[in-house]
Amino acid sequence: MDIQFSTEEQRFREECRDWLHANVPADKRPMDAADAIGFDKAWQRRLFDAGWAGINWPSQYGGRGLSIVQQVIWLEEYARAHAPWIGANFVGVNHGGPTLIINASEAQKEYHLPRILKGEAIWCQGFSEPGAGSDLAGIKTRGRVEGNELVINGSKIWTSFAHVADWQELVLRTEEGSQRHRGLSWVICDMHAPGIEIRPIRKISGQIEFAQVFYDDVRIPLENVVGGLGNGWKVAMSTLSFERGTGFIADQVKQSQEIEELIDRARATGAINDDRIAEALMQMRAEVAALRAMTYRNISEVVRNGQPGPEASVIRLFTAELGQRLDRMGLLLAGDDILDFRYGDDNHIADYLRGFAGTIAGGSSQIQRDIIAERVLGLPKSR
Amino acid sequence: MDLTPNSEQEALLSATADWCHDNMPLEQARSRHPALWNQLADMGWLGMTAPGMDLDHATEALVFAELGRHLAPVGMISSAVAARWSGHQGKTALALLDRDLTGGLLRVYDAPGATHALGLVGGLAALTALPSDLGGEPGLDLSAPLAHIDPAPPFTALGDPRAALHLQLLSAAFATGVADAARDMAAEYAKIREQFERPIGWFQALKHICADMAVRAAVAKSQLLYAACALDAGDADAGFHVASAKHLADQAAIDNGRANIQVHGGIGMTDEAYPHLCLKRAHLLTFVAPPERAVILGEAA
Ligand SMILES: Cc1cc2nc3c(=O)[nH]c(=O)nc-3n(C[C@H](O)[C@H](O)[C@H](O)COP(=O)(O)OP(=O)(O)OC[C@H]3O[C@@H](n4cnc5c(N)ncnc54)[C@H](O)[C@@H]3O)c2cc1C
Repeated sequence: MDIQFSTEEQRFREECRDWLHANVPADKRPMDAADAIGFDKAWQRRLFDAGWAGINWPSQYGGRGLSIVQQVIWLEEYARAHAPWIGANFVGVNHGGPTLIINASEAQKEYHLPRILKGEAIWCQGFSEPGAGSDLAGIKTRGRVEGNELVINGSKIWTSFAHVADWQELVLRTEEGSQRHRGLSWVICDMHAPGIEIRPIRKISGQIEFAQVFYDDVRIPLENVVGGLGNGWKVAMSTLSFERGTGFIADQVKQSQEIEELIDRARATGAINDDRIAEALMQMRAEVAALRAMTYRNISEVVRNGQPGPEASVIRLFTAELGQRLDRMGLLLAGDDILDFRYGDDNHIADYLRGFAGTIAGGSSQIQRDIIAERVLGLPKSR
Repeated sequence: MDLTPNSEQEALLSATADWCHDNMPLEQARSRHPALWNQLADMGWLGMTAPGMDLDHATEALVFAELGRHLAPVGMISSAVAARWSGHQGKTALALLDRDLTGGLLRVYDAPGATHALGLVGGLAALTALPSDLGGEPGLDLSAPLAHIDPAPPFTALGDPRAALHLQLLSAAFATGVADAARDMAAEYAKIREQFERPIGWFQALKHICADMAVRAAVAKSQLLYAACALDAGDADAGFHVASAKHLADQAAIDNGRANIQVHGGIGMTDEAYPHLCLKRAHLLTFVAPPERAVILGEAA
């Protein structure tokens, strides 16, 4: 065991640092998805052109074919350089693309993967429904096979970036009368297809970033099914493993930046002289260090065994709750300034309000605890 | 960068686990045989990083977490540090001063058979000679004989400041082991104890207690291994990483120790059952090389 990076990796880190130093945009990313989409696409294109998109994706699909360790180094430098949040490219880059790499046909990969990396195609995730959130197997949106098409009816909700997306990871029931995990399919849905209606929803932070999506006889070619008709649950689980596993490395890395900024602010204002604040900051600085250690352990596991260990769900839960404590500290340090918050402000209060997503989206913390108890500790399944 | 054990470390770890299971089960922590110390010395665990064996701290931390999981004698920590930095081989008792410098009361753990004790004095690891007949009776922690010397005799500080970090690292490893032991004991009990016609581990309230124990143990273990590697690498932040490891390991050991008693219900309150052994060991370890807030906050020079 060691924490040293190889000479090659260190050189790579310097390359990342130099490029980011010269290229991170000076202007701030707009808050609402509709305003930010141009920014997100342009930034992704610039990353691609400079060779920073898909660092550990296979080179035949436009990636660099480098190691996951180099991907993590990039993300560490990315956070350190205060580079913009990945925004609308989150789904495609972090779990849509990786799901396709493992499960899709050659034709699907060839078409979609380079477009994701270039920022040309925006993806969204259509898993949750009004009646199927934590209980994902309760999906009711259905696709009837007609000739070589699926005819889709139903509704998805909380779909982040739906109103700016081109494609969707859509999980639906393709076998009539099927129950629970059976009879589902994972489909590449064209978000511009006729019959799709999108109603954006405002969040408590003021942002308009997710939406409800309605499908009224939407026709999607059968060749857009990924991993075979009826195998949707298995493919969806691989999507979730990316979303919950490696997808949040960027968040984990960002927290090391945040804790240092909080400590600096607490020093500047003198708040650190309050014992309770000093104690909380100490706690979080140690935890952020441990989070990095956990991330490194997880990455080492991927390098050694090809996949993250069951502890990925431990990291996911820990990151989410630590993130919210960091947000709350930011709020505490802001004092009564928070009372002047207005929709449109993009500051610590917005971060705090946005941060509730951490323990809800991508599987709530309650569900993560069930998963840890059942899969890591082997307690009896209760669902 | 690699924070997973290599195949040699894996093999050493599973051999350690097997040996502990056969020769030093947690269930016998309060009645260890006097001959155990010779066996521990024969296994080489008292001098893993000392000249001769020269293993790294990463390997040692892995093994000590496993030993700690079986509530191995606390004197192993001081013995390993003394062997590495002072040349004192074999058994060195663990010294806890109630004041930072000299004078005051000295508590000594695992004194029988040891000529010296090692503890922290003014931030440095230091040794003192022990009276030859020093014995002891268990205190809060039931696994080790505790003796008192009042006032404390003079100590001689070891020159190298890394000796204190080593002591902090190994006590963090022991605490991490306690957190692991409590988690596993709770999870096992939750699988076999039945109420309302099903295992209590079926109930989500208990599942979530156990999941939180798993999180705390994983957090502590990860930081422990990182800190050990930082010490091996001579990293400038090694002091911060070791202090953080100790802070998180102590927290995990105490919180898991408490949760384990809760999961056991009434039996968890009994002297006869094992959960209290973990909790009491956890409390003892918080007094061994406690972390300083200024170091973790990055304020210490
Ligand atoms: C900001 C944000 C972005 C999102 N983006 C997307 C997206 O792009 N695509 C997408 O498909 N989905 C998305 N989601 C949806 C997200 O996956 C769901 O919100 C989540 O799975 C929870 O489902 P739910 O909202 O229906 O809550 P519910 O499942 O109704 O849960 C409500 C509460 O009950 C608890 N609960 C539910 N079941 C149990 C149980 N068995 N045991 C204990 N407690 C339980 C939950 O923990 C929660 O506290 C997003 C959500 C948020 C907040």
